[in-house]
Amino acid sequence: MIRILGWLAALGLAAGLVMAFGVAPREATQGNVQRIMYLHVPTVLVAYLAFAVVFVASIAYLWRRDPAADRLAHASAEVGVLFTGITIAAGAIWGKPTWGTWWTWDARLTSVAILFVMYLGYLLLRGMIEDHERGARYAAVLGIIAALDVPLVHFSVYWWRTLHQPPSMLKPGPAAMPEGILAALLVNVVAFTLLYAYFVAKRVMVLRREQEVLA
Amino acid sequence: MTADHWGFVLAAYGLAAVVLTVYWRRLCRRERELTELLKGIAAGSPRGPR
Repeated sequence: MIRILGWLAALGLAAGLVMAFGVAPREATQGNVQRIMYLHVPTVLVAYLAFAVVFVASIAYLWRRDPAADRLAHASAEVGVLFTGITIAAGAIWGKPTWGTWWTWDARLTSVAILFVMYLGYLLLRGMIEDHERGARYAAVLGIIAALDVPLVHFSVYWWRTLHQPPSMLKPGPAAMPEGILAALLVNVVAFTLLYAYFVAKRVMVLRREQEVLA
Repeated sequence: MTADHWGFVLAAYGLAAVVLTVYWRRLCRRERELTELLKGIAAGSPRGPR
């Protein structure tokens, strides 16, 4: 099952690259550098998903004390940090030629950086506490609190004056972009979601085996 | 016409590809190590990760 998910993710990513570089048109204002969007936007949307999964799985763990929920939260947080890191790096690389700077402390960028650091702290916390049950409990609390930053990240562009553009997706009404660009973006969102599912499934399996070895 | 900045596009995709590949390989390596370790434990001769 995990192997099939891996192949689906690989096919999805290949299709995403074809769509991003072969099908989507050159953007009129920014030129071809806008193609970074097909990496930047899907990775941040999948990071939102990852942290939403951490939120739900952490609540489930605190409620039922089910180790499977804890493993899911742990795996999803790790993959979420990975995707958030890629989002930030791709955004900085995109920002330099379009905004003239790699980084600025505007509301969107700062709230994403806080999200990244909080979940990095979540992973460090898990590694620091030797008592597994206690570590899982503390991590679940932090995982729930940190997930509350996700709406702040998304709505920051509405609530404050920022350099970052408003969302093109996940907003009321139709997406504000031509069909070719939207199709490429959607294919990449699906591809990165499959990759997320594959990584999480694999990481959960590794965590389960680590616990079997320790048992 | 706007400059295309292909170098920036390449850098963004290249960096993502490297990071994702390194993470994937790390997961695969850890999975192999644990499988061998569990086999060793089951056979009564535990071996540490190589």
